[in-house]
This record gives sequence, C-alpha cells and structure tokens, in this order.
Amino acid sequence: MITNFNFRVVWEYMPLFMQGLRNTFLISLVSLILALAVGIIACGCRLSRWKLLRGLAIAYIESIRSTPLLVQIYFFYFGLPTLGLRVPELETGIIALMLNSGAYIAEIVRAGITSVSSGQIEAGISSGLSYFQRMRFIILPQALGVTVPPLLGQAIVLVKDSALLSLISVMELTRCGQELTSERFMPAEGFLTVAVLYLCIYYCLKPLAGWAQKKLIFREAY
Amino acid sequence: MIEFKNVNKWFGKLHVLRDINLEVPAGEVLVICGPSGSGKSTLIRCINRLEKFQKGELYVDGQPLHDHSINLTKLRADIGFVFQQFHLYPHMTALQNVTLAPINVRKMNRDEAEELGRRMLARVGLSDKADAYPAQLSGGQQQRVAIARGLAMSPKIMLFDEPTSALDPEMIGEVLDVMIQLAEEGMTMCVVTHEMGFARQVAHRVIFMDEGQLVETGKPDAFFDNPETERAAQFISKILTH
Repeated sequence: MITNFNFRVVWEYMPLFMQGLRNTFLISLVSLILALAVGIIACGCRLSRWKLLRGLAIAYIESIRSTPLLVQIYFFYFGLPTLGLRVPELETGIIALMLNSGAYIAEIVRAGITSVSSGQIEAGISSGLSYFQRMRFIILPQALGVTVPPLLGQAIVLVKDSALLSLISVMELTRCGQELTSERFMPAEGFLTVAVLYLCIYYCLKPLAGWAQKKLIFREAY
Repeated sequence: MIEFKNVNKWFGKLHVLRDINLEVPAGEVLVICGPSGSGKSTLIRCINRLEKFQKGELYVDGQPLHDHSINLTKLRADIGFVFQQFHLYPHMTALQNVTLAPINVRKMNRDEAEELGRRMLARVGLSDKADAYPAQLSGGQQQRVAIARGLAMSPKIMLFDEPTSALDPEMIGEVLDVMIQLAEEGMTMCVVTHEMGFARQVAHRVIFMDEGQLVETGKPDAFFDNPETERAAQFISKILTH
C-alpha cells in the first residue's frame, strides 16, 4: 500500500489540509467555550429549586443525549431555515456542536457538584455561610477537581464530532479529505492524512489535560 | 440558652424525636448519650436547624426556631458545630479552614482574621499546623482544627456530635483535653458522646435517650453509678463491658 500511496498529492493538497486543520481547531474552540457556558447554565437550572427550570434543563439534556449528533446537525441545518432563520453552515454547525456538548458538560458539572459530600455542605451551613458563599468557597473548588478530567475528555470528543460538519459542507478537516477524494479519487491519501492530523490534535490536547489536572485539582492529593 | 418544648420530629413514618422537653442554661455542659438510632444526633442537629422538626417549640438564644421566618444564617454563625467526621474543607489549609467564616460571615479583614485564626489554632495546640492541609493531619489534629474553626466565630453555644467516635483510641485524649478546657472556661456545650470520663469530669448533666425519647436526666456520677431506669442501666453496663 505504501508503494501506492501518493505523497505528492498529499503535499499538493497540504495548504488545503492546513486550512482545514485551522478551521477544525477554531470551530472546536469556539464551540467548546460556548458549550461550557451553556453547560454551566443548564447545570444550574438542573439543580435549581424551581421546578420549571429543572424541567426545562432535563428536557434539553435528555433530548440531546438521546438523539444522534448527526440528526441534531441536520435538524438545525434544515430546520432553522423553515423557521425563516437564514444561518450560514458554519454557524449552524457551531450551534449544533455547542448545544450537543453543552448537554454533556451540564451532566459532567452536575456530577462534580453532587460529588462534594453533604458533610462539606453542612459544615458550611453550620458556619453561617450563605448558599452562594458555600458554592464559591466550598463546593465549586472541590467540584472543579473532579470535573476537569472528564471535561477535557469531552473537549477531545468535540474535536472529533466536528468532523460531522463536513456533511453540511463546512470546510473543516474531514471535508478537505472529501475534497481530495472527489477531485482525485484517492480516498486513502485523503482520509489517512486527515486521520493523522486528528491524531496530532489529540496529542496536543492530551498534555494540556495533564497540565490542567495538576494546576486545578485541589491539593489534597499531594 | 436552649429550650425544647414538646419537640417532635418524624423522618417519613419514623418518629425520631418524641415530646422532647429540655432546657440548657448558659454555661451548662450537657452530655447526651444513648444507643445508636435513639435520636441524640438528631436532637443536637435541631439546635442549629440542620434538621427541621414538625411539632413543638425550640428557642435558642431567645430565637424561636419553629418560626420559619427567623434569620437562620445569623443564628448558625453564633453556634459552633463539630462533626463526627470533622468535615474540614480538604482544599484549604488549617488556617484557611478556620478563617473562612470569620472573613465571609463576620466580615473581618484578612489580617485580623488570620491573627484570630492563629490564636484559635494555638488554643487547640496546633500553632505549628496552620499551613497544613487536612490530609496531612491525623484524625485527632483534624478534629482539633474543626473545634478551632467553630471557636473562631466566638460562638455562644458549641455542639459536638460524637466528636471522638471516628478517632483512633490514642487520639481521643487530645480532643477531649481541648473540650475539657473549653468546658472549664464556661462555654455552653451539648455533647453527644459515650466518653464517660469526659462526662464525669466536666458535664453538669447527662441525659439518656432511647427511641426518640428523653428517658433519664441526672448528674453524671449518679447517672453512671446508679441509673434510675432499667433501660439506662442496660446501656451503661454495655458501654462498660465494651
């Protein structure tokens, strides 16, 4: 296979791949930041005292987690225009990724918060700390330690999920592989290159996960 | 200081406190004992309203706890609570554990609070552990930090829920010593414990609970040597032979 592998074509398409790589990176980054915001808000609602907010949050989280991402992407891609909203492909894709990851992040954050023992909360209550003070000084710092590793896992999933945006013709990394394939009929060259580039992103994110874990997890472990 | 009037509490169908009548004057050291599940922890957890109760009246420092409109946060700030499992904040140093509430509830400035915190840690014999994290401390040391954390709020009442039950035997003494010193300084204390030595030395009164009822009240020596009720006698013989 190696003998048949056409490195020249890969090299020729390298500027396109680099552009795809950059786009995948930017799409993932923007979606992740938005998803974090959505996830934290949804988690806040999920844990809220008010039934209505809780119900809305559960409906959102469960409907996202029970349907395929591809279906969600198509839902926004074909659904938004029927509502009279003309949103470009890229933004549609980012909205879909944001809402999808947001639901998972909401559950990750919730798991972190509920993992803080009730004794910690009672200690805070007994000292006369208010709900927000307990959140800020006692619960969130401890929840963060438990939350960071699965959040970075979700970030890596998000990068891979962004490949599905190729199906609504967003010019990201996978789409570049498709271009090469359709223009030159060389799927091996196209998709193998794409795969290697995803691997590169993964290995850039992995040490980041380790670093963040060291920085953010509370000191008890040391 | 604390007054229970016909307090009743249910967990679902389980009747955990039955018609509790009890008065604790300021400066009294009260020891509460009884078999597990007798409601003694629930009783002291009612005093700072970690537990709600359904019927009866409870006054703490003049405040009616059965009235749901009172400012609980303020009341709780004036009551120290020491847990069986310490519940120190694991991500904070001993000093930060002690100063968190003075800074955020009493609105003390940081320097003042740290000065106070160090004084409180010295009081429990842990001046050298101010910068240690809970995981670096022994159980006895953690519990003493927890006591210092309570004391830093200059509480009117200190509540102890089995403060030595989670400790290795050789660490019980160091915690009891701090509590004895506190009792001798005139702190109002309610202590759920089976430490008879502590009860005999500093308690003004012992109450015995069983199945949610206050079965017997007495002076420590009289209670442990000549209990009036059969149930208390049984219990005491068990903790003695144990």
